[in-house]
Amino acid sequence: MLISPLVAAISMNPMLDAAIWFWVPLCAIPLGIWLSVSGKSKFWGKFLAVIGLILVMISSWTVPESDSSAGGHLILTISAPTILMCWGIQGMIFGGNVPVGRLDSSARWSGAVATFGAIGIFCLMHWYNLTPVWRDGLVNPFWIVFWPTFLLFSTSLCSAAALALKLYGSNRSTESLKLLFLSILMSVVAIMAMIFDGYLTTAAEFRDYLWLAAADIFGTLVGISLAIAAFAVVIWSYENSLSEPQDSSPPSPEEIEHVVSLAVSNIGGEEE
Amino acid sequence: MNQKRSSVAPIVFAALLPIIILVTIDIYLNSHFHNESFKRFGNAILTSYVIVGIILIGNLFFYADSRHRPMAPFVGMIFALAIGLLIGWALISNDDLLLEANSGLRAQMLSNIVHFLVSGTAMALASVLAIGATFAAITGRERGLLFEEE
Repeated sequence: MLISPLVAAISMNPMLDAAIWFWVPLCAIPLGIWLSVSGKSKFWGKFLAVIGLILVMISSWTVPESDSSAGGHLILTISAPTILMCWGIQGMIFGGNVPVGRLDSSARWSGAVATFGAIGIFCLMHWYNLTPVWRDGLVNPFWIVFWPTFLLFSTSLCSAAALALKLYGSNRSTESLKLLFLSILMSVVAIMAMIFDGYLTTAAEFRDYLWLAAADIFGTLVGISLAIAAFAVVIWSYENSLSEPQDSSPPSPEEIEHVVSLAVSNIGGEEE
Repeated sequence: MNQKRSSVAPIVFAALLPIIILVTIDIYLNSHFHNESFKRFGNAILTSYVIVGIILIGNLFFYADSRHRPMAPFVGMIFALAIGLLIGWALISNDDLLLEANSGLRAQMLSNIVHFLVSGTAMALASVLAIGATFAAITGRERGLLFEEE
């Protein structure tokens, strides 16, 4: 509410507002990451990405009339449990037997509590009054996109990781069972959401969106694979089109003499 | 040393199995297929193809210093991207094939991008949870002796 009146005062048209306050900052995030990762301008890259992310997250106040701002609003509302989960996982990993950066062993327990606490907060966002509310007391339309996709994909990945540990690891049954437990836990949460109504969403809505989440996951994976395949074909065909590099001419007698003199001056030493 | 030889197929199956089970339960509870899922599948393919294509073009730009910035891969990737955009434009604007609950082509494309942002965030967070839990499980065990003293 602090920003909206200012924006309203200089408002030109809704499309331009949405472009300035949502789409340009959204484009600034990958651009900033590229600049930072490429090492061309690390500080400005990070600065651009962070400013872009903040502007996207507050877009439901800067451009409330834009439907796209619901995406930014959702990212803002899930940021707290996301940070908690990342912190918890970092504690769980580095509180264990790692060669570098080892934390106190209590970090494993506090990390586990934080991770399961974050999953608990997500559950409360579905079944209790923490549900992201966007406009006019209505649920954020992207919450029902995020929640089933997260549940479905984490169930799937944990199951794959459990089997991978069992198949490729040596004597990893206990670790595999832990991941299987996590996969089953996420599945149970998904089944509960299919049966019991949420605070602002119904079980029927969740079931409908579970279909769409499955379609989203498969579609995204296929699309990413196609883009990488197209990239590989383009690079492969370009490299294929290059002519063979010419053989360099053999060294001249003067060059050989120079190399030999260098070698001789570096070989030897006093005998012990 | 006993070397294990395993294929990737069981892991792919393990990844698909929970999704298949949950969707089967969903069909049992709902007793119908969701028609919109085909549109969502198509939109997800096209959106992720175009966005990842743009990211890869960005990588070409930033990492091509050692190759004196050749133009041919740029042109090739922009052509590949243009094909994706063209197919997207044709399928969304033609006969309601990929148009979801949006007013038109532009609204659908912008909605697809925001949708990709949200579902991508969900998948990224799920990956952090699964990969993090895997590493946490691995590092949780006491380190065993590699070699016993003779």
